[in-house]
Amino acid sequence: MSQEIGVIGSPDFTTGFRLAGVRRFANVPDEEKPAQLDDAVEEMLDDEDVGIVVMHDDDLDHLSRTVRQNVETSVEPVLVTLGGGAAAGGLREQIKRAIGIDLMEED
Amino acid sequence: MAKEVKPTRKNLMAIEDRIELSERGHDTLEKKRDGLIMEFMDILDQAQEVRENVDDQYQRAQRAINMARAMEGDVAVRGAASALKEHPEITSESKNIMGVVVPQIESSKVQKDLDERGYGVLGTSARIDEAAEAYEDLLETIILAAEVETAMKKMLEEIEKTKRRVNALEFKLLPDLYSSQEYIEQKLEEQEREEIFRMKKIKAKKEEEEDADHLTTDEEEETEEPLTADD
Repeated sequence: MSQEIGVIGSPDFTTGFRLAGVRRFANVPDEEKPAQLDDAVEEMLDDEDVGIVVMHDDDLDHLSRTVRQNVETSVEPVLVTLGGGAAAGGLREQIKRAIGIDLMEED
Repeated sequence: MAKEVKPTRKNLMAIEDRIELSERGHDTLEKKRDGLIMEFMDILDQAQEVRENVDDQYQRAQRAINMARAMEGDVAVRGAASALKEHPEITSESKNIMGVVVPQIESSKVQKDLDERGYGVLGTSARIDEAAEAYEDLLETIILAAEVETAMKKMLEEIEKTKRRVNALEFKLLPDLYSSQEYIEQKLEEQEREEIFRMKKIKAKKEEEEDADHLTTDEEEETEEPLTADD
């Protein structure tokens, strides 16, 4: 089944991806992020045609706890965050929990 | 648990069978956990490399689009972005790493030629083309990152699950089974000792009775003898 890439973020963030052809996007202006970002992310997670969700790492802070946890642990669609360095997307925490040591520690 | 089992030989045999099975399972799961962690380490190196690429390319793409915005204006960039006709698509297949199904994502229509993008060549400048190209590169790397990070998430889940099972066997199930086994063995030994003691008691009692019988018969014989002598 072919799927698409979804982008969620401020209009500035999504425009670039739209230039590359991404048509599933949710524009949430910075001032409305605390109120609207949760719904936008949930909608994108429920969309079966979306295989990858791209977000900015800073936007994750605007999400409520449950939505953040859902999106970070979701495999279908999978979340890819930008701008947060190597330890982004909750993976670091998961690694610490599963392996027992922090493997992503920056040298 | 130890107090709940009935101390019978049948139960002891059943528990010994369970211990054998659990020990075998524990060893196998431990090997699986170690194998998964080794596979995970390989993927982790790959993931860190991909992550660095994503961040580099994101910065490059941002620079390109900022440049396009500065030169062409925000409206022109948004206009071009809305005009795109071809949309990138991804299809995922699955691969099996030690029982963990991880996706292999194939992408199509990410990299496009200038004339495939849909916005007019004349109306827009090279800055927008550069930005579009930078974002196309970024998308390619994001797709790769998605593949690697999904694999990592799935493997981490499996590692956690295997670890929980190993720990449950090692720290809960096996100790319980060992204590049950010990309890039954001790009970059975005690029963055996009681049985031996009882046997000894019975034997002693029987011997006593026999002795008493002998004595009485001897006495009877002794008392009877003179009678027969009289005859």
